[in-house]
Amino acid sequence: MAINEIVRMHEDLERALAKPAAKRSWVMVIDTRKCVGDHACTVSCMAENVCPPGTSFRRVFETEYNDYPGVDRFFMPTNCQHCERPPCAKAANNVAAGAVSQRPDGIVVFDTKVLAAKPAAGRAAAKACPYTAIVADEGGYYTEGTPKLEPYETRTIFELDRTLSRRQTKGAVRKCTFCAHRLDAGMLPACVTTCIGRAMYFGDANDPTSLVSELLAKNATWQIKANLKTRPRVHYIGFAGRADMATATATSCMECHQ
Amino acid sequence: MKASTPESSTACRLEETAREQGLHLTRRSLLATGALLGASAALFSKVDRAHALLANIANAPGGYPLARAENVIYSVCLQCHTACPIKVKILDGVAVKIDGNPYSAQNMIPNLPQDTPIEVAARIDAKLCPKGQAGIQSLYDPYRLVKVLKRKGPRGSNQWETIPFDRAIDEIVNGGRLFAHIGEDRHVPGLKDLYALKDAKVAKAMAADAKAVAKGKMSVAAFKAKHRANLGALIDPDHPDLGPKNNQFVMMCGRIEHGRKELAKRWLKGSFGSVNFYEHTTICEQSHHIAYNEATRQYKKGKWGKGKHHMKPDAANSEFVIYFGTGFVEANFGPPAMAEKVTDGLASGRLKVAVVDPRMSKSAAKAWKWLPIKPGTDAALALAMIQWMIRHKRYDQAYLQAANKAAAKAAGESTWSNATHLVRIEDDGPGKLLRATDIGMGGDEFVVVKNGKPAAVGKEPVTGDLEYAGEIKGVKVKTAFTILKEEAESRSMHEWSEICGIPVADIEAVAREFTSHGKKAGAEMYRGPVQHTNGYYNGQAIIALNVLIGNIDHKGGMTTGGGHWHEDGSKLKKPFNMKKMHPGKLHAFGHKLSREKSAYEKSTLFEGYPAKRPWYPFTGNLYQEIIPSAADRYPYGCQALWLHKGTPGFATPAGQTALEILADPAIIPLVFATDIVVGETSMYADYIFPDTAIWERWGTPHTTPDVPQRASKIRQPTVEPMTEVVKVFGEKQHCSWEAVLLAISERLGLPGTGKDGFGPGLDFTTREDFFLKFVANLAWGDKEGQAVPDASAAELKTFMAARRHFSKVTFDPKRWQRAAGKANWPKVVTILNRGGRWEDWNRKFAATDGFVVHKYKKGMNLYAEKVAAQRHSMTGKRFSGVAVYEPAKDAAGREVKDRGFPLRLITYKEILGGQSRTLPNNYWLSAILPENFILINAETAAQYGFKDGDKARLVSATNPTGEWRLPNRDNVPMVGRIKTVEGMRPGVVAVSWHFGHWGYGASDTKIDGRMIKGDPRRRTGLCPNAAMRVDPVVGNACMTDPIGGSSSFYDTDVKLVKA
Repeated sequence: MAINEIVRMHEDLERALAKPAAKRSWVMVIDTRKCVGDHACTVSCMAENVCPPGTSFRRVFETEYNDYPGVDRFFMPTNCQHCERPPCAKAANNVAAGAVSQRPDGIVVFDTKVLAAKPAAGRAAAKACPYTAIVADEGGYYTEGTPKLEPYETRTIFELDRTLSRRQTKGAVRKCTFCAHRLDAGMLPACVTTCIGRAMYFGDANDPTSLVSELLAKNATWQIKANLKTRPRVHYIGFAGRADMATATATSCMECHQ
Repeated sequence: MKASTPESSTACRLEETAREQGLHLTRRSLLATGALLGASAALFSKVDRAHALLANIANAPGGYPLARAENVIYSVCLQCHTACPIKVKILDGVAVKIDGNPYSAQNMIPNLPQDTPIEVAARIDAKLCPKGQAGIQSLYDPYRLVKVLKRKGPRGSNQWETIPFDRAIDEIVNGGRLFAHIGEDRHVPGLKDLYALKDAKVAKAMAADAKAVAKGKMSVAAFKAKHRANLGALIDPDHPDLGPKNNQFVMMCGRIEHGRKELAKRWLKGSFGSVNFYEHTTICEQSHHIAYNEATRQYKKGKWGKGKHHMKPDAANSEFVIYFGTGFVEANFGPPAMAEKVTDGLASGRLKVAVVDPRMSKSAAKAWKWLPIKPGTDAALALAMIQWMIRHKRYDQAYLQAANKAAAKAAGESTWSNATHLVRIEDDGPGKLLRATDIGMGGDEFVVVKNGKPAAVGKEPVTGDLEYAGEIKGVKVKTAFTILKEEAESRSMHEWSEICGIPVADIEAVAREFTSHGKKAGAEMYRGPVQHTNGYYNGQAIIALNVLIGNIDHKGGMTTGGGHWHEDGSKLKKPFNMKKMHPGKLHAFGHKLSREKSAYEKSTLFEGYPAKRPWYPFTGNLYQEIIPSAADRYPYGCQALWLHKGTPGFATPAGQTALEILADPAIIPLVFATDIVVGETSMYADYIFPDTAIWERWGTPHTTPDVPQRASKIRQPTVEPMTEVVKVFGEKQHCSWEAVLLAISERLGLPGTGKDGFGPGLDFTTREDFFLKFVANLAWGDKEGQAVPDASAAELKTFMAARRHFSKVTFDPKRWQRAAGKANWPKVVTILNRGGRWEDWNRKFAATDGFVVHKYKKGMNLYAEKVAAQRHSMTGKRFSGVAVYEPAKDAAGREVKDRGFPLRLITYKEILGGQSRTLPNNYWLSAILPENFILINAETAAQYGFKDGDKARLVSATNPTGEWRLPNRDNVPMVGRIKTVEGMRPGVVAVSWHFGHWGYGASDTKIDGRMIKGDPRRRTGLCPNAAMRVDPVVGNACMTDPIGGSSSFYDTDVKLVKA
């Protein structure tokens, strides 16, 4: 407990930012043993990215397993997996060229302008995504129809290297960017910093001294639907059950998620 | 502290941070420092470049403005009482993102050193729970009130007119026929009629004599003769111990926090002269506090002093923690501070946890063992564990044998217990502790038996035999330990198991685990075990588990936490010793309306048992008893009620009884509220003054004992308050709780406010006059040498820049400096720039063995003498000094059993919900959880003919129609959707506590003839409180723990009816 993992990841981040973008390889590591299903990440994402009402680019699923009294309860955080081979890119770009691209650091980028202009491209991307990580912005605000449309909903959105408003994102599809606008400003993704169970890690997989590299080397990790060969940049640790979490790092989650 | 400039390298700072805090250096750091210096130098130059790059990005036009310190103000959350330090990020004057404060030890482990430049901290976000992040939606709530409302229909009808602030203040101060225009032909007394006793000297003299009368040391006649000139100021001259008429002004302050709390008490007691200040604590978890208080009272000079109210496991170092009726993920005190310490231990294999809860909570989802207990039987489980521990000698004998501080020291402990102290066994059971004088061998010392011989417990080290029962000089005695052992053995393991519903094998396994880690184990509790009529005893039994292994102050054991610097200036006595800064201070006296902190026998109302309503000598802030006592006018009536930050008619078990009372203006003639919205109970007020929301105001909340470091948090305005601007004492200010308080002061000329309110030249005319003195005190600390450094010129500049969005009404640097004291100002800025101050993490905190840094260092009472000596005000029988198991009982001490209601009702909180102010009114949260459910085990549901998704109504013996009966408005059915799960004990139904609103924007509101539509999203789900049992004896309130005062949330049997 004596090591501040957030500070360490900030150090990792600064080292990575000192390199040319092409030499960075962002990955997210999620230790499901430490996910407590609190949704801090979900709400942080909603606020940070001004997600369309009713959506968050980060979701945490939960389920019960087995019967009373031997029941288990699991929590499973997911977001855009920033696949090295993103099925959404192919699907969207077939409809509108340039709708989806990849940054040299691995972040899968949606071009809101293109997607807002051609909603079919967004629909194709959403349909192609095996991780249901893409949300449609159908316009509207949480406080629409109440006594006051509140300013936190109409504020400027920072996304990647651009600024947007909800008026511009209407009609487009949106998703997690790994909080690229924060990364580029030397900040970790919002879901990572806010995690109260410290289940979330982020950093440069190309840097062998980074915390994420260390976690990947030390633990048995798995990816959702690895069989699809999309090569997700989100890696998971654990777990098989409650009884002994330290050793139970099997891939039981994959029973449902494969 | 080194000069902190924005130019200093981020990277270097972070390297230092890692070195200063890390201690256990990261592997990379070890490689870098261990390999060769050249390598690390190269690394530094690289990160220097990274920093330059960062600076460019952050400052470039179109860069990310929320990465910059000039757009950040630190404050403190209150979406739940964990009150996390927060970083509020502001864009164009709007709070758009809230994160945890990285300087805070509550939100970052280890926290950033306090000398970290604010520019660096701006980029480092700390953790925060979803409620705290959704605070933006409580702040920018479309249903926020901004103007003063006066009702224009019967109480509760939700029809209002807006009136000027000054007129509203005039009306509540002067009274009159205030509602004649809506057909209520009655005179409402104003506060001026209740401000009867005004002379500080007279009040002091009357207070002392009234106390003497109550104790029977002065006759009523003598009192009347002596004070005949002032008898008119009393409620009842024949009962002077009821105090002055001033007491008939009652402030129910609900979830008020430090800062405002000190101000409220100062004002109500010292300025107005009423004793009736209340928080909400008994609807929270008061019996837990009272159990700790009685377990930690220290005996000095013939008297039991005050105890500590709270301990927490040092979970960062624990190897085993058993959580009774709480956890580390939801509710408690609180998740952002607690969760990571546990998950770290689970993943590394350091820690195992067990969770005792009828519902499989998110904490239980991480537990080695989930113990789905029968609600309210925690003492049975704990006593069974104690029986097993004693039988197998799995307790710390050396710790328990130490009878005093000196013996503890000799044994290498910082705390001790009264396990060996002898207790007098009277005809009706164990009574007071034996004193040396009782057996003719000394004075007031306690006595132990050592090798069969009595020994007085003086200052020298004394150890005693743990077990003894016998007679000494004709006095029958037993040790406290023996009494506890007999209680634990009063039933077989099988019988205890039957009571609590946990198999013997599981009880034994948990007891074995609890006693297999030396001192690195803890038994933690919060609300679950104690919101019962037997709550105090449940709490006491759980504390006994900790005492038996002697884990207090040990790393990994139980701790009282790091504490705080004192904002009232009472330690250093400067710059502002606030307790002494109250010219003309009144002495409030008399029994409180709730009869708390008073013994029935020590009142002039004593006329044998039972009393008319129970008295509560051990507890305070008895929220559920205030309004019903006013209705019974016992001990007296209430003429004016100020409701603040709480909703007694909704949040209290059987809260509808309070609404029925409030709806009748003949009972409490004047009710006014300060609220940010029209709430379920403020809807029944005559006036509502809009309050500032917590992100717009001041406070100095205290920190959970879960945090090992000393911490003082500062809540401060982050955005311009949206309430109307009013003028009080000639100063423009936003309408708020403080503005109302000051305006009443101005009208009545109350001492301690207005010009020279704190002393010559020290006015009290705005909220900052009070709070910035608190901030200045915190900046100086408790001792010489603890002052924080002055803010640098650069930091002062950023401080101003971060407040550029404020109007002069809110932020006037000159006025603020005057309030804080000009000499203190640069220090004040230093801690305002950080949202408080925290001890830096250091080697001592990082150590995983030995003792915690901030120790309790006092005795633990396994036997609570004060409790054992007191009689129940209704039965006349003495309470027990050790933990016992009791079933649920009514006010007359009779077991409550409702036939025909087969399911036990419990409540819980989702991590997404706190009290009224989170779910479902925060739309981000309700997007995740739009409604709550009636959670039930799938098999139990099938047994009663329900399946998942069915609608059902909650019905109980005292709520046969299953609805909220709301005076002067439509009833609200207690109907919800069934959710069948495996993670529930069969026979128990759980309903989370957030939903079922009719106020807070849920229903239509008429203001100035205009209908404001309620939001159907805010009406979803159900609130189960109306099903909770009305006490059959008092008749107009829920059941209550007679010792701890907790309201009974979990003792009601219900049935489900198809809806």
